[in-house]
Amino acid sequence: MIFELNGKNVSFEAIPSLTLLDLLRNEFGLTSVKKGCDQGECGACTVLLDGMPVNSCLILSPQVEGKRVTTIDGLSENPLMIELRDAFMENGAVQCGFCTPGMLLSSYSLLRDNRNPTEEEVKMAIEGNICRCTGYVKIIEAVLDAAVRIGPD
Amino acid sequence: MKPLTGFNLVRPRTLQGALTLMATLEKTQPIAGGTDLIPLYREVQCEKTNLIDLSLINELNGITESLNCIVIGSTTTHTQILSNNLVAKHVSALHDSCSVLGSVQIRNRGTIGGNICNASPAADTAPPLLVHNAEVNISNQNNNRWIPLEELFKGPKLTVLQPDELLLKIKIPIDSDSASAFKRLGRRKGFTLSIVNAAAFVKREEGLIQNIRLSIGSVAPTPLRIKKVEEEFLGIEMSKRVLDEIGQACSDQVKPIDDIRGTAEYRRDMSNILIKRALNEAWRRTGGIIE
Ligand SMILES: Cc1cc2nc3c(=O)[nH]c(=O)nc-3n(C[C@H](O)[C@H](O)[C@H](O)COP(=O)(O)OP(=O)(O)OC[C@H]3O[C@@H](n4cnc5c(N)ncnc54)[C@H](O)[C@@H]3O)c2cc1C
Ligand code: FES
Ligand code: FES
Repeated sequence: MIFELNGKNVSFEAIPSLTLLDLLRNEFGLTSVKKGCDQGECGACTVLLDGMPVNSCLILSPQVEGKRVTTIDGLSENPLMIELRDAFMENGAVQCGFCTPGMLLSSYSLLRDNRNPTEEEVKMAIEGNICRCTGYVKIIEAVLDAAVRIGPD
Repeated sequence: MKPLTGFNLVRPRTLQGALTLMATLEKTQPIAGGTDLIPLYREVQCEKTNLIDLSLINELNGITESLNCIVIGSTTTHTQILSNNLVAKHVSALHDSCSVLGSVQIRNRGTIGGNICNASPAADTAPPLLVHNAEVNISNQNNNRWIPLEELFKGPKLTVLQPDELLLKIKIPIDSDSASAFKRLGRRKGFTLSIVNAAAFVKREEGLIQNIRLSIGSVAPTPLRIKKVEEEFLGIEMSKRVLDEIGQACSDQVKPIDDIRGTAEYRRDMSNILIKRALNEAWRRTGGIIE
């Protein structure tokens, strides 16, 4: 089976009992995608599926056939992601870093569609991402800061 | 973490194909967004299940308007519902419920059909659909029938669906002079099922309650319509006191249990408060003020 992973077509053996999360980590070595709860609660395994944030632990690998999967690795040169990454670092939004890839993808998806979000909108966007270290305040500040940095366009 | 086991995955592209598989394969189970189902397959199953993936079937996805009804395909996601103007305008309680259900990630995968077929007493789309008198379309290979949503639920995690049947769509009548709202209480937004949830639908004629429908979830084996209270307050003039009486009357009707998410007593108190909040908001949306 074939799907698009970070901009390149890749083929894989479709094993239903393999989640997208395990496929990405074990077969494609993308360990930026974290395994936390493995049941949809923590958001550490967040990836973009056709551009939308989803929990990769709740997707069976054959279900991504023909679809577009994006991890932070595929956005390393993306201007919006670069601003977000810098804002996370400078605002102290990263401690242990386990939640960070998922947080970045959820925040990226928000800012891509809404360049000037309210604090409430930022909170909604990262509601599915648990952080055990920062207490969220600095993460929310970082996302709002990134929104200022990218400006209205 | 335990690996997933105990299933095959079949991915039909048409509804007819899916219904044929449901009728012919041994031990089938439909899967839509998988957000309820996939975690269950971490427990070891004894017999292999054939999971019938509904996500490639175009006929089951999307929202349309027909004959003064809004029709929602069973695999329509909460995110799709949230961005639909018809629903926001005519079924605001459903819009409310989809905006607080799970997280962005869950809303992007989870479907309305999965939410009601999973038949959790806490399903957040159930009270809104119940107060809007939603009907559901159920089909197997040979027969197609419509039933009121209320008749779908049989108990916690139990529906009247037969092993070869699928839920195809949900139909909600449009009632332009009415308004509805949904409120819930969860331990933490995003990660828990509701401890209690409630929806109210009203039609207002000046200060009078011309029509009222109330539903509370997580206080009985299935999401409940509180018809006894609805009948009692029909035609009554709305006021703060009447709102309090409705809240009290509803909490007298529910049969909650203790569990890890809350005690029965707490649930009873909260059903009073949440139904009042929902009704107050619905009344406000009709343009009324409760004094
Ligand atoms: C982290 C997390 C948070 C959640 N938060 C909430 C919440 O706040 N509120 C809430 O109500 N729910 C919540 N849920 C539960 C779940 O996300 C929803 O119930 C969702 O709508 C289920 O839809 P699905 O498409 O993923 O269902 P699936 O998992 O695909 O299916 C659920 C059940 O319905 C059956 N089914 C699905 N489609 C059909 C069909 N067309 N015909 C017949 N049977 C069918 C399946 O066989 C299965 O038994 C949460 C889940 C998680 C993991
Ligand atoms: S690992 Fe997927 S949500 Fe926690
Ligand atoms: S930084 Fe440690 S979990 Fe968020």
